[in-house]
Amino acid sequence: MLQYLLKRLLLFVPMLFVISFIAFGLNQCTPGDPVEAALEGTGVMPSAYPREYKQKAAALELDKPSFYFSLTAVAYPDTLYKIIPQRHRETATALIAQFGNWPEISGYLQQIAVFKTKLDGLRRNPETKDQFNLAMYATERLPQTHQPASIQAGFDSIGLALALKPALQQKMSPEFETLKQAYRQISSRQTRGKLYIPTIHGYGFQNRYHNWLIGMLKGDFGTSLKDGRKVSSKIKEAVNWTLSLSITAILLAYLLSVPIGVYSAVYQGSKAERVVSIFLFGLDSMPNFWMASLLIIFFTTPEYGMDFFRVLGPASLPADAGFWERFFSAFTAMILPVFCLAYGALAYISRQVRASMITALKQDYIRTARAKGLTARQVVWKHAFRNALFPLITMFASVFPAALAGSVIIEHIFNIPGMGQLMIKSIQGDDWPVIYTVLMLASLLTMIGILVADLLYHVADPRVDLNNKNRK
Amino acid sequence: MNFFNRKKKQPGVEPQTLQEGRLRASPGWRRFSKNRAALWSLRMLYVLIFVAVFADFLANDKPIYCRIEGQTYFPIFKEYGIKLGLSQGDEAYFRREWQNEIYEAVIFPPVTYNAQQADTPNRYTSPFGKQAVRSWRFRHWMGTDGIGRDISALMVHGTRAAMLVSVISMGIATLIGLLLGSLAGFFGDERLRTSAPRLLLNLVALAAGFFYGFSVRAFAMTEGSLFTEVFKSLGILFACLLVANLIAGQIERRFKFSASVAIPADTLVNRAIETLSSIPTLLLLLSAAALIQKPSIIYIMAIIGLLRWTGIARYIRAELLKIRSLEYIEAARAMGLSEWRILFRHALPNGLAPVLVAIAFGMANTILIEASLSFLGIGLPPESASWGNVLQNARSSPQSWWIALFPGLGIFLTITIFNLIGEGVGESINKS
Repeated sequence: MLQYLLKRLLLFVPMLFVISFIAFGLNQCTPGDPVEAALEGTGVMPSAYPREYKQKAAALELDKPSFYFSLTAVAYPDTLYKIIPQRHRETATALIAQFGNWPEISGYLQQIAVFKTKLDGLRRNPETKDQFNLAMYATERLPQTHQPASIQAGFDSIGLALALKPALQQKMSPEFETLKQAYRQISSRQTRGKLYIPTIHGYGFQNRYHNWLIGMLKGDFGTSLKDGRKVSSKIKEAVNWTLSLSITAILLAYLLSVPIGVYSAVYQGSKAERVVSIFLFGLDSMPNFWMASLLIIFFTTPEYGMDFFRVLGPASLPADAGFWERFFSAFTAMILPVFCLAYGALAYISRQVRASMITALKQDYIRTARAKGLTARQVVWKHAFRNALFPLITMFASVFPAALAGSVIIEHIFNIPGMGQLMIKSIQGDDWPVIYTVLMLASLLTMIGILVADLLYHVADPRVDLNNKNRK
Repeated sequence: MNFFNRKKKQPGVEPQTLQEGRLRASPGWRRFSKNRAALWSLRMLYVLIFVAVFADFLANDKPIYCRIEGQTYFPIFKEYGIKLGLSQGDEAYFRREWQNEIYEAVIFPPVTYNAQQADTPNRYTSPFGKQAVRSWRFRHWMGTDGIGRDISALMVHGTRAAMLVSVISMGIATLIGLLLGSLAGFFGDERLRTSAPRLLLNLVALAAGFFYGFSVRAFAMTEGSLFTEVFKSLGILFACLLVANLIAGQIERRFKFSASVAIPADTLVNRAIETLSSIPTLLLLLSAAALIQKPSIIYIMAIIGLLRWTGIARYIRAELLKIRSLEYIEAARAMGLSEWRILFRHALPNGLAPVLVAIAFGMANTILIEASLSFLGIGLPPESASWGNVLQNARSSPQSWWIALFPGLGIFLTITIFNLIGEGVGESINKS
């Protein structure tokens, strides 16, 4: 038993590794600039933006390579990740993908920077203010675009601005010419062949994935990009809600489905049983978000005179609210969501109980028990049910993950601040540190649920050899 | 089990009539058709497929046939023609307001609105309430939503979206699941053997295919249309694998390498299934959907298809575990057939029946997932007709019960139909 447990727990490690790859890979493929997302709405002054950006990027480790190694073409330099405003990096990548000559491209990008610093020196002249602004705007846009047409448009507007004021023209003209020259060189000295020769760059342990994984193992899940709070504290609050929702729902479902399943097996074929069975089958295919929407429509709005639940989600209580007040607030908030989560599991479990009871009741030992003159109650509960208990336990392995997953949408609908709602909000806001952690944690919980079910399997029937159990 | 083998030809008999005859007469079909609920579900499924295919003729703002001022039009057919580039409409044709025309003769579709059209004077109108429409023909039988779209038209076109998503994503899932599941079940950990150079070359080809297909083409994939570019990339990947295997064949022949390396197919596939199923589906789908900038039905189909193959793989694996030790497989092996040929021609076709159960339940699941994702606002684009999208609108207006009731009923009924069919097939297999 202990050996088996250890073996299973060891298997968790590679699985969690793979899940971490999946989560991290998804993040890498997600479009959008996390630094911009984090700075959005923080009210940073435009003049301080580049500095703030740099600091934030360093804090988020975005100036580090993302993985231990990378497989790219020779044309791409191994220090590409060091270009930090992400848009500039994207431009550089796109230019390389088109022309394959990094020295020329980096020369062009550097020339833009040189031109910008020189231009910035002319900021103070009030006479050329409008033209300066036009040229500056175009210059700032240049490293953000890789399309020939828009680069040409940028050059045109800089040229126009310079042509309007001789003072500008005089000072900037040589730099402008070198800049245009640098751009022309990119297309005249293409080395597209380099794009097709693969190479592997090694980056060592100083990479984002490694740091994230080590942090994870140390129990540091990072900070949220949105509000700067610790991910662990955010999740701790959410887990409480989710677990109490799904565990209450499962308990309720088990408690009710056992008698329903057993009695519908005992009275199989009767009219009442058939009605119950059809009803359960219907419940089983009833999408819980539809049920939730209907409940909200009929029970939370005064339109139909049945507004028993006025608010969705837990009411915001004053900080000094007593335990019972908190309890009742949470309790009323959870009635409808628990119902929505429970009925699906209830239908599923009682159908399974019914099926296994029907098989059990057909066995010979039941006839023997009847013949002995035992009461119906004894036959059903002592002889048949004990033997039909088996699938009830293994079902936990599929009911628990389903409840966890189901609570995502239910929490969203009923405004319960659990893991599901946290996940949806984080996905909408590209808050990847939270997404990683929720994904890993939910997977871990699911794995534990499956493991518990396997162990219970053994407890319920010691004949089952755990090591050789051929799982379907 | 004959029911599921109807593709097999027999010499001397006309294949077409044989198929029909065998299907109806087969014991599997007879057992299935005795289950009345399952049989009626199958018939309902035909109806759903009909609605999905002919959605444009069932709910459209244009008439099917009409005559105006002595001229005959077939506007819906013409619309198809214009879309396919076969026909061109003039300006007068496009400016025509079909619903306000005066017709000499006309045949309208049963629902006289299309899914996008906003009938602005009629917002949130109840199916039983007063509606500002010209005649009964233009009534909104299931009411309208907040911008005046007709719910019944949305229901009809939503059927198409639901069926499309479920069929295509289950198609992808079935392909992946059948391949991986049969590898795991038929070969186990020991039997899938290959020579060292072939294994090495395949690994190299995989890396090369990834590099030339995806890494090099990353730029092209962002610039061009993603769908066709992904296909080209996959083509490059397969070409790499093909070349590697041709070279490997030559090397094996020339240097006499024997197939001595066993690939633990069963362990690998099982681990993959366990890992994939330990991540809560909706969470994984949600984070995969975060990749998408512009929601589109193609992405949803691809994501669901790529993630939901585990059920099918499990079924086919369990079935092939049984089949591989049967006598006729032994006989085929004794005749000198290659392992792959035995798998694809003899073992797999006989293991397909239980997969039908998995596919039916998978269809139900897919419809539920698509509706959930659309309900959360990250599935199909918000303007497209999908049951989940319509249901989502219900949240902003609780007094309009019809917006919540009808699409939910659609989802519910479709799921029930697939579940009943799945149960029916399962029972008919178990009884045999």
